[in-house]
Amino acid sequence: MPEIKVTPLGAGQDVGRSCILVSIGGKNIMLDCGMHMGFNDDRRFPDFSYITQQGRLTEFLDCVIISHFHLDHCGALPYMSEMVGYDGPIYMTHPTKAICPILLEDFRKITVDKKGETNFFTSQMIKDCMKKVVPLNLHQTVQVDDELEIKAYYAGHVLGAAMVQIKVGSESVVYTGDYNMTPDRHLGAAWIDKCRPDILISESTYATTIRDSKRCRERDFLKKVHETVERGGKVLIPVFALGRAQELCILLETFWERMNMKAPIYFSTGLTEKANHYYKLFITWTNQKIRKTFVQRNMFEFKHIKAFDRSYADNPGPMVVFATPGMLHAGQSLQIFKKWAGNEKNMIIMPGYCVQGTIGHKILNGQKKLEMENRQTLEVKLQVEYMSFSAHADAKGIMQLIRMAEPRNMLLVHGEAKKMEFLKDKIEQEFTINCFMPANGETTTVITNPSVPVDISLNLLKREMALGGPLPDPKKPRTMHGTLIMKENSLRLVSPEQALKELGLNEHQLRFTCRVQLQDPHSDPDTLSRIYTHLKSVLKGYTIQHLPDGTVMVESIVIKVSSSAEEPNTKVLLLSWSYQDEDLGSFLSTLLKKGLPSGLSSM
Amino acid sequence: MGVTSLDDNEFDDWFIESLKIYNNIHEYQLEHPTIVIEWTAEKTICVAGYSLSKNEILELLLPLKLFADDNHDLCAERDFKVVHGGFSNGAVHCLKHIPGTRCVVTNDGFSSKLLVWDLGGDDCDIQLKSASSDKGVKVASGLTGNPCILHGSQISDIQLTELTNTSIIVLLFPSIEETDSPDALSSLQFVSGSVFLACACNGDLYVGDTRKPSALQQTPAGGRAGAHWCMGVKTDLFSSDPSSCSVARLSSSSQVFVSDLRDLRAPVSKAQLDVQRKTTDNDFMKVTWAPALDNCLAVSGFDGMVQIYDTASWRPELMEFQPLFIHQTSWSHDSVLSAAVDGSVQVWDWVDKATTSC
Repeated sequence: MPEIKVTPLGAGQDVGRSCILVSIGGKNIMLDCGMHMGFNDDRRFPDFSYITQQGRLTEFLDCVIISHFHLDHCGALPYMSEMVGYDGPIYMTHPTKAICPILLEDFRKITVDKKGETNFFTSQMIKDCMKKVVPLNLHQTVQVDDELEIKAYYAGHVLGAAMVQIKVGSESVVYTGDYNMTPDRHLGAAWIDKCRPDILISESTYATTIRDSKRCRERDFLKKVHETVERGGKVLIPVFALGRAQELCILLETFWERMNMKAPIYFSTGLTEKANHYYKLFITWTNQKIRKTFVQRNMFEFKHIKAFDRSYADNPGPMVVFATPGMLHAGQSLQIFKKWAGNEKNMIIMPGYCVQGTIGHKILNGQKKLEMENRQTLEVKLQVEYMSFSAHADAKGIMQLIRMAEPRNMLLVHGEAKKMEFLKDKIEQEFTINCFMPANGETTTVITNPSVPVDISLNLLKREMALGGPLPDPKKPRTMHGTLIMKENSLRLVSPEQALKELGLNEHQLRFTCRVQLQDPHSDPDTLSRIYTHLKSVLKGYTIQHLPDGTVMVESIVIKVSSSAEEPNTKVLLLSWSYQDEDLGSFLSTLLKKGLPSGLSSM
Repeated sequence: MGVTSLDDNEFDDWFIESLKIYNNIHEYQLEHPTIVIEWTAEKTICVAGYSLSKNEILELLLPLKLFADDNHDLCAERDFKVVHGGFSNGAVHCLKHIPGTRCVVTNDGFSSKLLVWDLGGDDCDIQLKSASSDKGVKVASGLTGNPCILHGSQISDIQLTELTNTSIIVLLFPSIEETDSPDALSSLQFVSGSVFLACACNGDLYVGDTRKPSALQQTPAGGRAGAHWCMGVKTDLFSSDPSSCSVARLSSSSQVFVSDLRDLRAPVSKAQLDVQRKTTDNDFMKVTWAPALDNCLAVSGFDGMVQIYDTASWRPELMEFQPLFIHQTSWSHDSVLSAAVDGSVQVWDWVDKATTSC
């Protein structure tokens, strides 16, 4: 039976280390290759030994597809391609291709330079890995090879995030990556057509969560910034170059104007340019509002947000600063933090997850005294806030996506099985489809029912219908003889003669001959008559003829009798039949080998 | 209409105002709207849908952030978590938790069937039947002692059902007089382990004691005729002082009468509220007391808003009063939780202009 196999790799479900293997139509695809941010050893990488115990992955995988640039989806990519070994194509959207290497390099710096790790990929490896990338455009079908094709759909979530449809023949799978069903200030909402995949694979980390609305979280963020600034404090917001930073900037810019705020807002240098550059380049990936206003003014050229200079950090009075890097592990954001940490009027707002070992991670855990590189202690008196603005699909979002795509089966990955029983029931009841939730390392096999459309030639159809018998009944299959011609993408059923003609081949006839010995005291012609009578009584409904030329014919099978002069009672029956009558021929030879019954008359 | 359904410009307007009037506000989008919010434990609530066909019943764990100290606790966790879920074949118009158990009882608002659900177990455990009627049933959970529920759709068919492991005991409270038109029940609530109050739709109050069945005391409302009434009760289980139990009755003509157990006939205070009725569905009218704030009650079900009143300044004569606070979007609520028809559930507290914080 045709089937599709899905296996999520990796261990641990808290932060989500995405890496899913799909086997479809004989092809093997790896979906995402993420890093687990909570581990410091090899447990952070997906377990590739599932694919092969040793050696490179190239021969086992037809392609790798990366959904977006978050490290829990692409963080292990250079390790996989350069250290384990994979030389095949890696597919991702244009923005992901542009931004991925930046984040990978940043991450590499923290891990190697700051934490002193050795078993990690190098800068060169990141470059070599990216050389294998084939970029994708939205809604464009890409042929990976003769049989495998993929197509990217808009996922929202972050710039360049995509959901991917993988198709082999008439079987298909859609993988969502991380997606978001509600638009935000700079990105649109995920969208897919009614592509009816055999399986829809969705992340379900937030499936049992009902999130506080984005608006209320935004309000909280603005309120905290406002309160800090009102009391004369400074607000530091460490950010990654791209992602939520733009969203928060647009938010602040809007309110500064409305509320007539005077305190300055700064964006660290390099950040604005880079962001502007990418958003301009990938403007089609943003939402409609941004695209519309972009003509008049660049949404990312802010009126109230100015470029930062390091000397400003010492200026008295309130201000808000967006600075990189996001986890406070080095660079400008760390420098500013050191200056402002000692004042309790100030505030730091962490907008994202921080890797263990970074200062960001330490202060989020409530650490109040930090040991810095120069052995000096830094006292953390400022207010530390964490606000997650990441947009993930929750249960409602998953249901909406199912309504859009109409999959035949549903598969949820990266969620906690016990907690998702309710969601599974819900999906199964509302859509009457199966819902699977494989644990990491566990394979789910889904039997598909691909329908293969075949054209039938009119002649053949007429001929088969003319054979008589009852009218065709769609519920009762009927055997028919024909030749299946597969050319390019078409399948046709034609009569053998037509096939031979089209292919320019000659028809060969196959005849079988068999000799059966029989003891019979009668003359040869009498023996033949006895055979004729015998067969007539046994084979009712068949055409049996006793011909004047001394043969008996059963359908097209010829039977002759002969004997030698020395042994006139030892009759040799010669049976001859064509390939088409093989069944009947074999039956006759077996029957006649048993001999003729005694009470037979010669007539 | 929840905050989430505002477009960018409307949100911008709302936000500026909200900074002045709310301390905190959170909004959660359920897939389907609910008209019930019931506490099942210190940190969990139950909500359920009320569409005519299949509905979800969800037990949600409230986020840590709501219980944390405002400024000094780092709380990343601000989302609801679905702890348990189940499906009901009909609407859920009434849902009450039975204290001391992991059970809730529901009614669909159209029939007399009561379903008892075991949270965390499979589906519905027991089905109870009230005296048959084609109106919905009102339910009150017993506050102390063995788990029991008080239910009925008319004053004359109020029953007490004890849920013990071995049997279900039913007690009846026939009405004192036979009346031509049976009084439909609008609210039912226990005020102590055995004393309960029943409010009829015409505003009459009845006091009953489960230790003395068949002795229901009737107190006519004396309110405007033809109005529909409902009741909200605040009790202090630790006090035997009858004045500690406050009963507020709300009428569809926007009047509120506040009484206490000392003398239910003579309301302690009255108020004429300045609300316009925009809906005719009496089921949505609700009046509830804030459990932790003295004299604060919330009124909703008229125009899509929740209005908070401070009854401390009310007097026995009927007078007009303005609300302390108006919150948009609510149909049914508890003191800091409200739900709206668009499926959003808000959790909020407001800035008290009279004092520095609430």
